[in-house]
Amino acid sequence: MRLYAYCTGDELAAEAFEEATGVGGSPLMLVRRGALAVLVSEFEGDAVPATRENVAEHNRVNALALARSTPLPFRFGTLVEGARLEAYVAKQEASLVAALERVRGCVEMGAKVIWDAGGQAAAGVEDDEREAGGSPSAGAGTAFLLAKRREVLGEEALRSRAEGVAAALASRLEGLSRESSVQVNSKGSLVVRAAHLIERGREEEYRERVRALGREREDLRLMASGPWPPYNFSGPRS
Amino acid sequence: MTDAELILDEEEELSLLETLDHVLDRGLVIAGEVTIAVADIDLIYVGLNVLLGSVETVNKVLGERERRLEYLRGLAPGGGE
Repeated sequence: MRLYAYCTGDELAAEAFEEATGVGGSPLMLVRRGALAVLVSEFEGDAVPATRENVAEHNRVNALALARSTPLPFRFGTLVEGARLEAYVAKQEASLVAALERVRGCVEMGAKVIWDAGGQAAAGVEDDEREAGGSPSAGAGTAFLLAKRREVLGEEALRSRAEGVAAALASRLEGLSRESSVQVNSKGSLVVRAAHLIERGREEEYRERVRALGREREDLRLMASGPWPPYNFSGPRS
Repeated sequence: MTDAELILDEEEELSLLETLDHVLDRGLVIAGEVTIAVADIDLIYVGLNVLLGSVETVNKVLGERERRLEYLRGLAPGGGE
């Protein structure tokens, strides 16, 4: 039988999980090694079915751990033999302890920014095109070059706008976020996907700052989520 | 199904999408020890939608929230003026 690993930390206490169960209904246990403990439950089977129930259980157990301290969460579906888990912790102890120091006293919050309907229109490209000499009588070669120009200018305009949105979000969260992990995508609807490490107790302030940006920008929809265990801040600093 | 039930379902879907976005490709990994069985096609479908940036559900739910807030503001004393 293998162990399903939820999270690891140096402040996990067994009494917090005495009555709780994990994925598949097995009781939660702590595997201790050095300064660290790993929250696990026994799991029968070779693979974890990716069902709504199992994802919710994984999330619920980590939320339970997060309620008392800030652990480092494992990815969904981490199944490992007991000996292999202890070897992993022994080998990675120093880096795991450093990662815990990095996130101590914090939670992760998330923000997603979506272009509202029509928000992807690359304003100004059509004007540029007219200035470039586009006319109904233009030949096939000219039409091709204009189409190419429209494509390039459109991409540049979108990239510029997307970076502007990310900068606006960063500015809004200045002084609140200890660290951030931001992905900017100018080609899809989901233009910014950001995670921020913030001090515990400031979650509502985070949500309010994100909401405030949403009220100012009618071309965007913003969505805040959290608190989460630091899924985006558990690995080495990038 | 009533509109309220539909919105509740969509809110749950949104919550699931956010959870999937975090737990499926973030967090600590022990090399070679993440083992997932693709048992729930619907779950994988919505998970892929998150990763590919399909946000129709998000837009729909947020839009409905805003409409409800506008409606409630209209009902409040002095609201809707």
